[in-house]
Amino acid sequence: MDFEEPVQGHLHWTDGEYSDGRKEVLKTIVVLSVVTVVEVGIAISYDTFAKDGGKYRWFISLLMAVFSVVKVIYIMGTFMHLKHEKKMFILSVLLPFLFLIWAIIAFAFEGASWNYMRSWLNAF
Amino acid sequence: MAEATTLHHDQETDQHLWEGGRSPFKLGYGKIMMWYFLISDTFTFASFLIAYAALRFTAGAAWPKPAEVFASVPVPAVAKILEKLGINPEHLPLVYVSFMTFLLIVSSYTMVRAVQEGYRMNKWGVVKFLFPTILCGIGFVACQYYEWSHLIHSGMTATTASATTKVLNFGQLFFVITGFHGLHVTGGVVLNIWLMVSAANGKFDKVGHYEMVEKLGLYWHFVDLVWVYVFLCFYLL
Repeated sequence: MDFEEPVQGHLHWTDGEYSDGRKEVLKTIVVLSVVTVVEVGIAISYDTFAKDGGKYRWFISLLMAVFSVVKVIYIMGTFMHLKHEKKMFILSVLLPFLFLIWAIIAFAFEGASWNYMRSWLNAF
Repeated sequence: MAEATTLHHDQETDQHLWEGGRSPFKLGYGKIMMWYFLISDTFTFASFLIAYAALRFTAGAAWPKPAEVFASVPVPAVAKILEKLGINPEHLPLVYVSFMTFLLIVSSYTMVRAVQEGYRMNKWGVVKFLFPTILCGIGFVACQYYEWSHLIHSGMTATTASATTKVLNFGQLFFVITGFHGLHVTGGVVLNIWLMVSAANGKFDKVGHYEMVEKLGLYWHFVDLVWVYVFLCFYLL
Protein backbone atom coordinates (compact mmCIF):
# COMPACT_ATOMS: atom_id res chain seq x y z
CA MET A 1 0.00 0.00 0.00
CA ASP A 2 1.30 3.47 -0.87
CA PHE A 3 1.10 6.40 1.50
CA GLU A 4 1.12 10.06 0.57
CA GLU A 5 2.79 10.99 3.84
CA PRO A 6 4.03 9.25 6.99
CA VAL A 7 1.14 7.88 9.07
CA GLN A 8 2.80 8.51 12.39
CA GLY A 9 3.36 11.93 13.83
CA HIS A 10 6.69 13.66 13.83
CA LEU A 11 8.76 11.26 15.94
CA HIS A 12 12.28 12.34 14.99
CA TRP A 13 13.53 15.87 15.45
CA THR A 14 16.27 17.80 13.68
CA ASP A 15 18.87 19.83 15.62
CA GLY A 16 16.94 23.07 15.03
CA GLU A 17 13.63 21.64 16.25
CA TYR A 18 15.37 20.19 19.29
CA SER A 19 16.94 23.48 20.40
CA ASP A 20 13.68 25.38 19.76
CA GLY A 21 11.77 22.78 21.79
CA ARG A 22 14.20 23.04 24.68
CA LYS A 23 13.88 26.83 24.78
CA GLU A 24 10.09 26.65 24.68
CA VAL A 25 9.94 24.15 27.53
CA LEU A 26 12.36 26.15 29.67
CA LYS A 27 10.21 29.25 29.18
CA THR A 28 7.12 27.26 30.18
CA ILE A 29 8.53 25.98 33.47
CA VAL A 30 9.66 29.50 34.41
CA VAL A 31 6.13 30.82 33.70
CA LEU A 32 4.50 27.98 35.68
CA SER A 33 6.78 28.51 38.70
CA VAL A 34 6.32 32.28 38.73
CA VAL A 35 2.52 32.00 38.42
CA THR A 36 2.38 29.47 41.28
CA VAL A 37 4.55 31.62 43.55
CA VAL A 38 2.41 34.70 42.78
CA GLU A 39 -0.81 32.74 43.44
CA VAL A 40 0.35 31.48 46.82
CA GLY A 41 1.76 34.89 47.72
CA ILE A 42 -1.55 36.60 47.01
CA ALA A 43 -3.53 33.89 48.87
CA ILE A 44 -1.36 34.14 52.00
CA SER A 45 -1.16 37.94 52.08
CA TYR A 46 -4.91 38.35 51.51
CA ASP A 47 -5.72 35.93 54.33
CA THR A 48 -3.27 37.77 56.61
CA PHE A 49 -4.69 41.24 55.93
CA ALA A 50 -8.41 40.37 55.64
CA LYS A 51 -9.07 37.90 58.45
CA ASP A 52 -12.87 37.78 58.11
CA GLY A 53 -12.80 37.05 54.36
CA GLY A 54 -13.08 40.69 53.37
CA LYS A 55 -15.04 42.54 50.73
CA TYR A 56 -12.81 41.68 47.78
CA ARG A 57 -12.77 37.90 48.26
CA TRP A 58 -14.62 37.39 44.95
CA PHE A 59 -11.99 39.39 43.08
CA ILE A 60 -9.13 37.34 44.57
CA SER A 61 -10.97 34.12 43.66
CA LEU A 62 -11.47 35.33 40.09
CA LEU A 63 -7.77 36.21 39.90
CA MET A 64 -6.82 32.71 41.12
CA ALA A 65 -9.09 31.14 38.49
CA VAL A 66 -7.47 33.25 35.74
CA PHE A 67 -3.98 32.26 36.94
CA SER A 68 -5.03 28.58 36.87
CA VAL A 69 -6.31 28.96 33.31
CA VAL A 70 -2.90 30.40 32.34
CA LYS A 71 -1.19 27.38 33.90
CA VAL A 72 -3.54 24.96 32.11
CA ILE A 73 -2.90 26.68 28.75
CA TYR A 74 0.86 26.35 29.24
CA ILE A 75 0.71 22.71 30.42
CA MET A 76 -1.67 21.58 27.66
CA GLY A 77 -0.16 23.74 24.93
CA THR A 78 3.56 23.25 25.46
CA PHE A 79 4.11 20.25 27.74
CA MET A 80 1.38 18.14 26.12
CA HIS A 81 2.31 19.58 22.73
CA LEU A 82 -1.33 20.35 21.92
CA LYS A 83 -0.80 23.73 20.26
CA HIS A 84 1.33 22.06 17.57
CA GLU A 85 -1.35 19.47 16.64
CA LYS A 86 -3.96 19.74 13.91
CA LYS A 87 -6.84 22.12 14.57
CA MET A 88 -9.55 19.44 14.49
CA PHE A 89 -7.66 17.36 17.02
CA ILE A 90 -7.30 20.36 19.34
CA LEU A 91 -11.05 20.92 19.11
CA SER A 92 -11.89 17.28 19.77
CA VAL A 93 -9.88 17.45 23.00
CA LEU A 94 -10.72 20.98 24.09
CA LEU A 95 -14.50 21.05 23.59
CA PRO A 96 -15.37 18.23 26.06
CA PHE A 97 -12.86 19.74 28.46
CA LEU A 98 -14.44 23.21 28.30
CA PHE A 99 -17.98 21.85 28.74
CA LEU A 100 -16.84 20.04 31.88
CA ILE A 101 -15.30 23.24 33.26
CA TRP A 102 -18.64 24.94 32.65
CA ALA A 103 -20.43 22.07 34.45
CA ILE A 104 -18.28 22.72 37.54
CA ILE A 105 -19.09 26.45 37.46
CA ALA A 106 -22.80 25.76 36.84
CA PHE A 107 -22.99 23.43 39.85
CA ALA A 108 -21.41 26.09 42.03
CA PHE A 109 -24.47 28.25 41.25
CA GLU A 110 -26.70 25.22 41.85
CA GLY A 111 -25.13 24.76 45.29
CA ALA A 112 -25.68 28.43 46.14
CA SER A 113 -29.32 27.97 45.20
CA TRP A 114 -29.65 24.90 47.49
CA ASN A 115 -28.11 26.96 50.28
CA TYR A 116 -30.68 29.72 49.69
CA MET A 117 -33.60 27.28 49.63
CA ARG A 118 -32.35 25.62 52.81
CA SER A 119 -32.22 28.96 54.66
CA TRP A 120 -35.69 29.73 53.34
CA LEU A 121 -37.06 26.40 54.65
CA ASN A 122 -35.37 26.93 58.02
CA ALA A 123 -37.53 30.01 58.55
CA PHE A 124 -40.53 27.76 59.20
CA MET B 1 18.51 5.29 5.74
CA ALA B 2 17.59 4.77 9.38
CA GLU B 3 14.76 7.26 8.89
CA ALA B 4 13.31 5.28 5.98
CA THR B 5 13.29 1.95 7.84
CA THR B 6 11.63 3.63 10.79
CA LEU B 7 8.78 4.97 8.72
CA HIS B 8 8.35 1.64 7.04
CA HIS B 9 8.06 0.03 10.46
CA ASP B 10 5.41 2.52 11.58
CA GLN B 11 3.32 1.95 8.51
CA GLU B 12 3.47 -1.78 9.08
CA THR B 13 2.22 -1.54 12.65
CA ASP B 14 -0.34 1.21 12.13
CA GLN B 15 -1.88 0.74 8.72
CA HIS B 16 -4.48 -1.85 9.75
CA LEU B 17 -5.83 0.62 12.35
CA TRP B 18 -6.86 3.31 9.88
CA GLU B 19 -9.59 2.51 7.36
CA GLY B 20 -8.50 5.49 5.28
CA GLY B 21 -4.92 4.22 5.25
CA ARG B 22 -3.52 7.03 7.39
CA SER B 23 -4.22 8.90 10.61
CA PRO B 24 -6.64 11.81 10.14
CA PHE B 25 -4.76 13.88 12.71
CA LYS B 26 -1.22 13.02 11.56
CA LEU B 27 -0.67 11.40 14.95
CA GLY B 28 0.05 7.85 16.00
CA TYR B 29 -2.93 5.68 16.98
CA GLY B 30 -1.67 5.12 20.52
CA LYS B 31 -1.15 8.83 21.13
CA ILE B 32 -4.67 9.74 20.01
CA MET B 33 -6.12 6.99 22.18
CA MET B 34 -4.07 8.22 25.16
CA TRP B 35 -5.60 11.68 24.67
CA TYR B 36 -9.09 10.21 24.55
CA PHE B 37 -8.42 8.09 27.62
CA LEU B 38 -7.35 11.28 29.40
CA ILE B 39 -10.60 12.96 28.38
CA SER B 40 -12.56 10.04 29.86
CA ASP B 41 -10.49 10.45 33.01
CA THR B 42 -11.33 14.15 33.00
CA PHE B 43 -15.00 13.14 33.24
CA THR B 44 -14.29 11.27 36.49
CA PHE B 45 -12.33 14.14 37.99
CA ALA B 46 -14.91 16.63 36.75
CA SER B 47 -17.72 14.69 38.47
CA PHE B 48 -15.76 14.93 41.72
CA LEU B 49 -15.17 18.65 41.24
CA ILE B 50 -18.86 19.15 40.36
CA ALA B 51 -19.77 17.50 43.68
CA TYR B 52 -17.21 19.79 45.32
CA ALA B 53 -18.68 22.94 43.75
CA ALA B 54 -22.26 22.05 44.66
CA LEU B 55 -21.50 21.01 48.26
CA ARG B 56 -19.18 23.92 48.88
CA PHE B 57 -21.69 26.55 47.88
CA THR B 58 -24.43 24.71 49.79
CA ALA B 59 -22.32 25.18 52.93
CA GLY B 60 -21.96 28.92 52.17
CA ALA B 61 -19.93 30.97 54.62
CA ALA B 62 -19.39 27.97 56.94
CA TRP B 63 -16.84 26.50 54.51
CA PRO B 64 -13.40 26.43 56.23
CA LYS B 65 -10.56 28.74 55.15
CA PRO B 66 -7.70 26.83 53.48
CA ALA B 67 -5.00 28.90 55.19
CA GLU B 68 -6.33 27.71 58.58
CA VAL B 69 -6.75 24.02 57.66
CA PHE B 70 -3.43 23.68 55.84
CA ALA B 71 -1.40 25.89 58.18
CA SER B 72 1.43 23.60 59.23
CA VAL B 73 4.37 21.59 57.90
CA PRO B 74 3.39 18.03 58.83
CA VAL B 75 6.76 16.27 58.34
CA PRO B 76 8.20 15.81 61.89
CA ALA B 77 11.87 15.96 60.82
CA VAL B 78 11.38 19.18 58.82
CA ALA B 79 9.26 20.68 61.61
CA LYS B 80 12.12 20.09 64.10
CA ILE B 81 14.62 21.82 61.80
CA LEU B 82 12.24 24.76 61.34
CA GLU B 83 11.82 25.06 65.13
CA LYS B 84 15.61 25.20 65.54
CA LEU B 85 15.70 28.01 62.96
CA GLY B 86 13.14 29.90 65.03
CA ILE B 87 10.22 29.39 62.63
CA ASN B 88 6.96 28.02 64.02
CA PRO B 89 6.02 25.06 61.75
CA GLU B 90 2.39 25.41 62.85
CA HIS B 91 2.10 28.87 61.24
CA LEU B 92 3.26 28.34 57.67
CA PRO B 93 0.03 28.40 55.67
CA LEU B 94 0.17 26.83 52.19
CA VAL B 95 3.98 26.56 52.19
CA TYR B 96 3.98 22.77 52.36
CA VAL B 97 1.43 22.33 49.58
CA SER B 98 3.32 24.85 47.42
CA PHE B 99 6.35 22.60 47.75
CA MET B 100 4.21 19.65 46.58
CA THR B 101 3.00 21.69 43.60
CA PHE B 102 6.58 22.61 42.80
CA LEU B 103 7.56 18.90 42.84
CA LEU B 104 4.88 18.16 40.23
CA ILE B 105 5.89 21.11 38.00
CA VAL B 106 9.55 20.06 38.08
CA SER B 107 8.61 16.45 37.29
CA SER B 108 6.52 17.68 34.35
CA TYR B 109 9.54 19.58 33.05
CA THR B 110 11.90 16.60 33.33
CA MET B 111 9.26 14.41 31.68
CA VAL B 112 8.94 16.71 28.67
CA ARG B 113 12.74 16.79 28.44
CA ALA B 114 12.74 12.97 28.37
CA VAL B 115 10.22 13.09 25.51
CA GLN B 116 12.48 15.51 23.61
CA GLU B 117 15.53 13.28 24.12
CA GLY B 118 13.35 10.47 22.74
CA TYR B 119 12.79 12.51 19.56
CA ARG B 120 16.57 12.59 19.22
CA MET B 121 16.80 8.78 19.77
CA ASN B 122 19.05 9.52 22.76
CA LYS B 123 18.54 6.46 24.97
CA TRP B 124 20.54 7.59 28.03
CA GLY B 125 19.09 11.08 27.75
CA VAL B 126 15.63 9.56 28.20
CA VAL B 127 16.77 7.53 31.20
CA LYS B 128 18.58 10.55 32.70
CA PHE B 129 15.40 12.67 32.66
CA LEU B 130 12.98 9.89 33.63
CA PHE B 131 14.88 9.25 36.85
CA PRO B 132 14.20 12.68 38.47
CA THR B 133 10.61 12.45 37.20
CA ILE B 134 10.14 9.23 39.18
CA LEU B 135 11.85 10.71 42.26
CA CYS B 136 9.56 13.78 42.21
CA GLY B 137 6.52 11.50 41.84
CA ILE B 138 7.56 9.40 44.84
CA GLY B 139 8.31 12.61 46.76
CA PHE B 140 4.82 13.93 46.01
CA VAL B 141 3.10 10.76 47.24
CA ALA B 142 5.30 10.76 50.37
CA CYS B 143 4.33 14.40 51.07
CA GLN B 144 0.70 13.44 50.67
CA TYR B 145 1.14 10.61 53.18
CA TYR B 146 2.43 13.07 55.81
CA GLU B 147 -0.29 15.60 55.08
CA TRP B 148 -3.06 13.00 55.29
CA SER B 149 -1.81 11.50 58.57
CA HIS B 150 -1.46 15.00 60.04
CA LEU B 151 -5.04 15.90 59.04
CA ILE B 152 -6.44 12.57 60.28
CA HIS B 153 -4.69 13.08 63.64
CA SER B 154 -6.21 16.55 63.85
CA GLY B 155 -9.65 14.90 63.65
CA MET B 156 -10.51 15.51 59.98
CA THR B 157 -11.53 12.12 58.59
CA ALA B 158 -14.07 10.83 56.07
CA THR B 159 -16.67 10.54 58.85
CA THR B 160 -15.76 13.36 61.25
CA ALA B 161 -14.93 17.06 60.97
CA SER B 162 -12.09 18.60 62.97
CA ALA B 163 -12.25 21.75 65.09
CA THR B 164 -10.84 23.85 62.23
CA THR B 165 -12.80 22.33 59.34
CA LYS B 166 -16.24 22.11 61.06
CA VAL B 167 -17.93 21.16 57.76
CA LEU B 168 -17.96 17.36 57.31
CA ASN B 169 -18.11 17.59 53.50
CA PHE B 170 -14.73 19.35 53.38
CA GLY B 171 -12.84 16.33 54.70
CA GLN B 172 -14.85 13.87 52.63
CA LEU B 173 -14.24 15.75 49.39
CA PHE B 174 -10.60 16.39 50.27
CA PHE B 175 -9.79 12.73 50.90
CA VAL B 176 -11.70 11.42 47.89
CA ILE B 177 -10.32 13.96 45.39
CA THR B 178 -6.71 14.15 46.57
CA GLY B 179 -6.81 10.38 47.11
CA PHE B 180 -7.94 9.75 43.56
CA HIS B 181 -5.27 12.13 42.32
CA GLY B 182 -2.63 10.43 44.48
CA LEU B 183 -3.69 7.09 43.00
CA HIS B 184 -3.01 8.53 39.55
CA VAL B 185 0.43 9.75 40.66
CA THR B 186 1.23 6.31 42.11
CA GLY B 187 0.15 4.62 38.88
CA GLY B 188 2.23 7.11 36.89
CA VAL B 189 5.31 6.36 39.02
CA VAL B 190 4.90 2.60 38.41
CA LEU B 191 4.49 3.16 34.65
CA ASN B 192 7.48 5.52 34.56
CA ILE B 193 9.69 2.96 36.31
CA TRP B 194 8.66 0.41 33.68
CA LEU B 195 9.38 3.01 30.99
CA MET B 196 12.82 3.83 32.34
CA VAL B 197 13.81 0.15 32.61
CA SER B 198 12.51 -0.55 29.09
CA ALA B 199 14.38 2.45 27.66
CA ALA B 200 17.60 1.43 29.43
CA ASN B 201 17.24 -2.09 28.00
CA GLY B 202 17.06 -0.61 24.49
CA LYS B 203 13.45 -1.71 23.86
CA PHE B 204 12.54 1.52 22.04
CA ASP B 205 15.75 1.55 19.96
CA LYS B 206 14.55 -1.80 18.59
CA VAL B 207 11.07 -0.40 17.91
CA GLY B 208 12.66 2.54 16.09
CA HIS B 209 10.99 5.41 17.94
CA TYR B 210 10.26 6.62 21.47
CA GLU B 211 6.53 7.25 21.10
CA MET B 212 5.83 5.32 24.32
CA VAL B 213 7.74 8.01 26.27
CA GLU B 214 5.47 10.60 24.68
CA LYS B 215 2.29 8.65 25.51
CA LEU B 216 3.20 8.17 29.16
CA GLY B 217 4.41 11.78 29.16
CA LEU B 218 0.89 12.86 28.21
CA TYR B 219 -0.48 10.89 31.17
CA TRP B 220 2.06 12.44 33.53
CA HIS B 221 1.25 16.00 32.39
CA PHE B 222 -2.43 15.21 32.84
CA VAL B 223 -1.73 14.37 36.50
CA ASP B 224 -0.07 17.80 36.79
CA LEU B 225 -3.04 19.39 35.02
CA VAL B 226 -5.54 17.86 37.45
CA TRP B 227 -3.41 19.07 40.36
CA VAL B 228 -3.79 22.65 39.08
CA TYR B 229 -7.55 22.30 39.64
CA VAL B 230 -7.28 20.42 42.94
CA PHE B 231 -4.82 23.07 44.16
CA LEU B 232 -7.18 25.84 43.03
CA CYS B 233 -10.30 24.34 44.64
CA PHE B 234 -8.90 23.20 47.98
CA TYR B 235 -6.01 25.53 48.71
CA LEU B 236 -6.58 28.83 46.91
CA LEU B 237 -10.32 29.54 46.70
